[in-house]
Amino acid sequence: MMPVAFYRKKGRLQWRRPVRKRKSMEEEMKASLKVLIVENNPVDRKMLCGMLSKSSYGSFTIEATDNLAEAFDHLTRDEFNVILLDLNLQDSSGLDTLKKMHQKFPHVPIVVNTGAYEDTLGLKAVTRGAQDYLIKGKYKSYGLSKSLYYAVERKKAEEELKEAYESLKTMQAQLIQVEKMKVVGTLASGIAHEVKNPLATILYGVEFLQTKCQNAAADDQINLTIHSIKDAARKANEIIKDLLDFASLSVLKCKPENINTVLEESLSLVRHQCDKSSIMVVKDYAEDLPDVNIDKNRIEQVIVDLLINSILAMPTSGTIIVKTFLTKLADVHAKWAQEQKVRLKAEQLVVVHIEDNGYGIKPDDMSKIFDPFFTTRRAAGGVGLGLSVARTIMNNHGGLINVENKKEGGARAELYFKA
Amino acid sequence: MTAKKKILIIDDEPGFTSMVKLNLETTGRYEVMIENDSQQAVATAAAYQPDLILLDIIMPVEGPDVLCQLRKSEALQDVPVVFLTATVRREEVAHENGHIGGHPFLAKPGTVDELITCIDEELG
Repeated sequence: MMPVAFYRKKGRLQWRRPVRKRKSMEEEMKASLKVLIVENNPVDRKMLCGMLSKSSYGSFTIEATDNLAEAFDHLTRDEFNVILLDLNLQDSSGLDTLKKMHQKFPHVPIVVNTGAYEDTLGLKAVTRGAQDYLIKGKYKSYGLSKSLYYAVERKKAEEELKEAYESLKTMQAQLIQVEKMKVVGTLASGIAHEVKNPLATILYGVEFLQTKCQNAAADDQINLTIHSIKDAARKANEIIKDLLDFASLSVLKCKPENINTVLEESLSLVRHQCDKSSIMVVKDYAEDLPDVNIDKNRIEQVIVDLLINSILAMPTSGTIIVKTFLTKLADVHAKWAQEQKVRLKAEQLVVVHIEDNGYGIKPDDMSKIFDPFFTTRRAAGGVGLGLSVARTIMNNHGGLINVENKKEGGARAELYFKA
Repeated sequence: MTAKKKILIIDDEPGFTSMVKLNLETTGRYEVMIENDSQQAVATAAAYQPDLILLDIIMPVEGPDVLCQLRKSEALQDVPVVFLTATVRREEVAHENGHIGGHPFLAKPGTVDELITCIDEELG
């Protein structure tokens, strides 16, 4: 109340001062915007620069160009808060200009600057990714400045909304997945029981035949038949086992564990196979890693599966490098899809790398490796649930798995856990 | 020559019980009686007086109920019973060292060797 009374006493002229003062405070509060003006007409361009540099609404750092190619150069070199975009340029025209810009720099807000009598075009631009539009000759410095600030805030809100939407979509997908797993689980255990009984009959029957035929020195065809039946029944039993494993994945018994210890235990399970294929295991563990909240048996299953993949990719000899370290989410964020980013909301991640120098993954197979029942070892009895199960387990832990080829040859599997 | 051990298998899968009988009898060490009707299980056991009983779980009268009734009979209360069932998994059985809830278990499907080893262990 005090300042009002004070200025009122000083008369009308003084009365305006607090208003001006408030304005400059607003200016101070508003961050300066770096604007890229893309405008074909040199006169307009000069005028726009003038309007912004004199603006009483905000402060601007300005760069300007008259064509799209140069605009791209500017945007690649430098970071801009907002683009003021004329749609009709020497090297691009109409909404196509907006489309190209938006595709190439989707995160920079755009205000479209259309010619007079083109306000329907302006509206269309807003539906195709622009944050606002202006009609040439119909605005002054204040309106222009306000529109640029508005575009920045609107873009921020749009991105937040998009992220919230992605997050909801991911959650919905997870819920659907959980429901699906429940159904699969019920179905699988029901089927498993029904199928295991006849399988038991077949396997006992075959064993009996085998004993009888050994005694009677049966011919090769009979032996082959018995052998094939036995193999087939065992294979069917393996599939049932995998199916039951798959069905029980959503039930986790988590407690804090040291990932290095889990790795050691997993390695001890495959030591024999490593020795058999003359594979050297190099360990590079980070000390003092924070514990991760995991179901140890499940994660061991993932690690053993990855180790076995590596071993099978190096049948005669090779090296497996097992590495653990702590990293910041921001450092590894770039390479993940939005859906994955949403899943891993933690500042710090405990990371496990399992690398080999084996065959690597064929580029054509890369997109399919996580698909259920995809295997490159069908002939050798592979069922193709290994990586699919591994991914489900990691997802259920709120973690991530990534598998890629190394530049120098071989493959690397990466596991990310919330620290 | 020692007398053959008498094994009673109670399971409602006729194919499976036949295969168990064939495999066990072919060793020459066991005599096997089959009971596919779980309602008749206790009566058959009482009449046959087996040395060991192989018992399925999922049947019209469930395995654990059959076991309770067997234990009520003075003549049968000390007969070793091995659960032979598809309701458990081999890994689970292995994890519990072959005994679940104090009872010996065998998972279906398994091998004849496993079956014989388990029977001989229980028979002492």
